[in-house]
Amino acid sequence: MATDPASPATDAPILEMQDVVGGYGRMTILNGTTFAVRRGTITTVIGPNGAGKSTCFKAVFGLLPLRSGRIRFNGTDVTGWTPRRLLEAGIVYIPQGRNIFPELSVRHNLEFGAVAAGPHIKDMPARIEAALDRFPSLREKADVQASTLSGGQQKQLEIMRGLLLDPSLILIDEPSIGLSPMLVQETFGILRELRDRGVTILMVEQNARSALEISDEGLVLELGQARLQGPARDILDDPRVAQLFLGGAMQPAA
Amino acid sequence: MSELIAYLIVGIATGSIYALAAIGFTLVWQTSQTINFAQGEFVMLPAILVLLAVKLLGVPIPVALLLGAVAFVLLFGVGFKRFVVDPMLPHGVLPLAIATMALAIIMKEGAKDGFSAEAQSFPSPFPSDAIQILGTAISLQFVMTIVVAFATIAALQWFVTRTRTGRQMQASAQNPTVARILGIPVERMVMLTFVINAALAALASFLISPIYLAKFSNGETIGLFAFIAAIVGGFNQVRGALLGGILVGIFDSLAAAYVSTSYRLAVPLALLVVIILVKPEGLLGRKEERHV
Repeated sequence: MATDPASPATDAPILEMQDVVGGYGRMTILNGTTFAVRRGTITTVIGPNGAGKSTCFKAVFGLLPLRSGRIRFNGTDVTGWTPRRLLEAGIVYIPQGRNIFPELSVRHNLEFGAVAAGPHIKDMPARIEAALDRFPSLREKADVQASTLSGGQQKQLEIMRGLLLDPSLILIDEPSIGLSPMLVQETFGILRELRDRGVTILMVEQNARSALEISDEGLVLELGQARLQGPARDILDDPRVAQLFLGGAMQPAA
Repeated sequence: MSELIAYLIVGIATGSIYALAAIGFTLVWQTSQTINFAQGEFVMLPAILVLLAVKLLGVPIPVALLLGAVAFVLLFGVGFKRFVVDPMLPHGVLPLAIATMALAIIMKEGAKDGFSAEAQSFPSPFPSDAIQILGTAISLQFVMTIVVAFATIAALQWFVTRTRTGRQMQASAQNPTVARILGIPVERMVMLTFVINAALAALASFLISPIYLAKFSNGETIGLFAFIAAIVGGFNQVRGALLGGILVGIFDSLAAAYVSTSYRLAVPLALLVVIILVKPEGLLGRKEERHV
């Protein structure tokens, strides 16, 4: 069956990492990382500290020079692309921690989500209004300093900002850090809603169990390599994963 | 009384010039941790370049002003960033600061040897008439200096807070990592602050030289006062640098009039010491937060 090159077949992976090697200075973190992310899923990456989860995201988003390996997005080789080009292509990256500008207003923070589209994006005011409509608690604070937002609202603001250019892939690193359990569920709810609208989400979570519960797929990283990948349910139930999180090395697959 | 008003206005006029230099100083500090010890020489040199253009090329003053400003922005805005800051910054803030001290010496000696060791008169763009303010005759020179400096600072403040580019510049200064992730051209924004710094310095030069004459050694006092102004106001704010500049200008003017001209340098320094003891983050400054 012929596929339209402009809209890749839905079963083709949206993101592929192939034998990616990279790290900081002399330290190698990604050690031949290879995996693919299915389109339209929430895929959660888990693994012990230092497994290379966040580094993986930095590699995809052009923030970590690779020593070797390839990264493909929608079948296109995007290895070495700048963040700006990746944003234009439809990927956004929401790092862990606070990534807003506390002294600027909520609205002006939001505006930064459209920077990659250049200065001439015509419907930006409309997009910002639409984004604010989706989060009424942020609309109330649209014109006050973002520093007055609660931790949960700041995360929501980051997600909103990331959605301004309608990305097809969101890389989100530890969204639950510093949030109360209720806010974590609310944030996960937003991610599911996005997934239902066709956005692919690749998430790193320390909070593995609750993240896998809302995910379609799970991916286990250890020592910079993908060890296991499959339906989130299976990953949750896999005894080897439990062992990995208890600190032991993974047994070779039975 | 009328004497006091005159000294106050003169103080505000020179203070607003120090403020221009202090604002540029804080801008490049914020975006690239550059403590520019050549800032005073940055204010000294543009006037010399203008006089040089008149002398060598024989162009009329307005053309010379334009040429001097453009040449200065290219050399000490773009060039300073490219050839001093970029190579030195990876080695740390201190080596870069020392490099700017070396640059200050080069600029000063260059102006002396390449142009003149004597103070030169510099044409004023404003008429020399005096106007009456609260019953005191004040030279239009000082009034116009205040008007031009304040208008420039207001325009800069408008640009930084009200335009998209200005806000991208703020974002690049506050958190370059996040700015980059959002696709903000951080490098270009940092370069923009160096261009603005050089442009402010050129303006300060053109405003102060008609008052104090153009001389190679002018940078010493101006640099010191701009530095004090930036610290007094709070190192991380345009408004702070403005307030600091005005305060230093007024202190300087009143000290020269009522204390002693030979101690005039000591008075702004005393202000600095008091501020550092009482409010180390500066009058309008925020406490610096460091995230690890």
